[in-house]
Amino acid sequence: MNVRPFALLLWFPILIPAAAGLACRWMPSPKWIFRTVLATAAADAATAALLVWGTASGGRLFAASGWLFLDALSAFHLAVMSAVALFASVFSRSYFTAEESLHGFDRGRARQFGGLWCGALAALSLVLLSNNIGVMWVGIEATTLLTAFLICVRVTPESLEAMWKYLMVCSVGVAFAFMGTLLVASSAKRLGLEPMEMLLWTKLSENASAMGALPVKAGFLFLLVGYGTKAGLAPMHNWLPDAHSQAPAPVSALFSGFMLSAAMYCLMRILPLVEAATGRVGWAAHLLAGFGLLSILVAAAFIPFQKNVKRFLAYSSLEHMGVVAFGIGIGGAGAALFHTLGHSLAKSLAFFSAGRLGQDAGSYEMKTLGGSLKRGPLWGSGLLLAVLGLAGAVPFALFMSEFQILRAAMATAPAWVVVLFLSGLAVVFIGALHHAIGMAWGEAPSRSVPENGPFRPAAVETVLVAVMLILLTGLGLWMPGPLRQGLSAAAAVVTGAPSGLDAWSVWTGGPTP
Amino acid sequence: MKEAIELGLMALVLSDMALLGIGLLSTCIRIVAFQGVLLGLFSVAVNWGFLTPRVWILAAVSGLLKGVVYPLLLRRAVSDAGVQREIEPYVGPIPSVLAGIALFGASVWIGGRLPLTGAAEAGSRLIVSASLMTLLTGLFLVAARKKALTQTLGYIVFENGIFAFGVASVGEIPALVELGILLDAFVAVFVMGIAMYHINREFDHLDADRLNALKG
Repeated sequence: MNVRPFALLLWFPILIPAAAGLACRWMPSPKWIFRTVLATAAADAATAALLVWGTASGGRLFAASGWLFLDALSAFHLAVMSAVALFASVFSRSYFTAEESLHGFDRGRARQFGGLWCGALAALSLVLLSNNIGVMWVGIEATTLLTAFLICVRVTPESLEAMWKYLMVCSVGVAFAFMGTLLVASSAKRLGLEPMEMLLWTKLSENASAMGALPVKAGFLFLLVGYGTKAGLAPMHNWLPDAHSQAPAPVSALFSGFMLSAAMYCLMRILPLVEAATGRVGWAAHLLAGFGLLSILVAAAFIPFQKNVKRFLAYSSLEHMGVVAFGIGIGGAGAALFHTLGHSLAKSLAFFSAGRLGQDAGSYEMKTLGGSLKRGPLWGSGLLLAVLGLAGAVPFALFMSEFQILRAAMATAPAWVVVLFLSGLAVVFIGALHHAIGMAWGEAPSRSVPENGPFRPAAVETVLVAVMLILLTGLGLWMPGPLRQGLSAAAAVVTGAPSGLDAWSVWTGGPTP
Repeated sequence: MKEAIELGLMALVLSDMALLGIGLLSTCIRIVAFQGVLLGLFSVAVNWGFLTPRVWILAAVSGLLKGVVYPLLLRRAVSDAGVQREIEPYVGPIPSVLAGIALFGASVWIGGRLPLTGAAEAGSRLIVSASLMTLLTGLFLVAARKKALTQTLGYIVFENGIFAFGVASVGEIPALVELGILLDAFVAVFVMGIAMYHINREFDHLDADRLNALKG
């Protein structure tokens, strides 16, 4: 556990946003708050880039006497998070500037947004960087508490209702995960670790096969329900459509784009411990795959009947979290991680576009968003392409990952599972396509032109959409070597394999390069 | 000391039953405060014989939070909202107490089966059962009551159960982690308090069951 000065960078993604969040409480105007938010996200992204580069040469970074650490899995998630946070921070400025003329956005609300937004970023980083599974839990619970009031930055009866449901369901759900953490800790007692080291993931994973199988199994059930609630897996997903539909668009993007993935990350951390303790028979992995499959099917049952675009996108998140869980469970960890990346990009773009179009139309009902390609060509095409990407159309990144997960499933899972998985994806595809076509080319409702003139996006918004679309399609067509290596190393952490062999052979159809 | 612990656990289970049977909110808050103090004492009693500063600090912080701070916050919310009692809950008081008996049976059964080392060291399997009972009671209150206030109360009781379970089964989690957890729970109750304030102001009531505009 050698601590290099470089490793002190591990503190940055936690401390910078936390300090910035506090600073937002005293900022004089919304302008300064958005500058702070943007600077924080940029600093986060720069740190993440350095840290990813630092772990790319292999190995792990430790700080705070081993309590903070970074390996391939957390580095990958940190990179995804900082990208989503950067995009969403850029977008939040345009969104709330438009919001100002629509519903008003004063200094108090800007302070609330800035403080909680930066705080949520700090908490998410804490989840990713902590080696101690107790502190990881503290981070997840902190994200719930910090983001609750982001849902009702604009206080309406509906947003309050969504916030209360989110707060209750996720607090109680995540408390289950703590119960699970306690059970894992109690089964780790026999390892004879020092109290200070007892909950450290690196220590646990070194000795996981010596942990008691039965309490670990009981613990995993609690952890699956707990973190599964926060990740939005069915049947614990009830809070998700309400919260996503009521939150302001940048917040929905952060929720869907990364907060769900952060909870999924916690399950990915726990999974190899449980698998090692239960003798690597796939008990925990199959359970996770089952929840994933159920989520896909539930999403497929709801998506075709959605009327509100943000609720539709929320159910799509349920589907994609299901795909990730399913992918990990059936042994396609590399593809599942790639899916996380693709989903984060596509879903945040979809929420950005839906948010701006909805602001323009004055409603998020898909009926009123008809003809959006004509009315707002930039955001209209952003929404169309993002939803196509989410549906799994060629040539977007999500098609590639879903295809690889399907191949993994055909190699390992029974036929009926593959059939259910495929039919779920097919229903979602048709439903999403129907919604996307309706919004893009459908008949626009007859309404007067909004009084604040034609809907013209700023230059920065054009760049944002272009960059996100290039990433989304580019990754579908070509996978850069470093990303491939990073995914392979991260998948190896999830599968608990010394090298990423079994995950990677599924991914490429051959051994690790 | 073992007798004292067992007596305390009995009191914990009885207080759970009382929470299930009583609809008057001010009484429920008093019972939750009693549970908080009891849990603070409990964490000292379980560690009797090797009382480190860590044990005292955690016991003091948790006792103070659960026994004093939460009840004050809740009492304030009650007087702000002018809510006195839980009227027409989904499950009435007598079925609730009957459910409580069933929950206790389930807790004893599960408590006997969980292979935990910590509880055996502390001398009583009753610890695990009582903590599970408290946890399930909290969950029941969250699910079966309509007022946002009672749901918050249920969340606190649920947290109490987990706290008791942690003291009983694990013991020596690093103090930093435990303080983080207490802080999280405190902020959760605090945030729920603010949320209730907003709900009460916007809707003029605190009935969580009437928050039902979002569907599908």
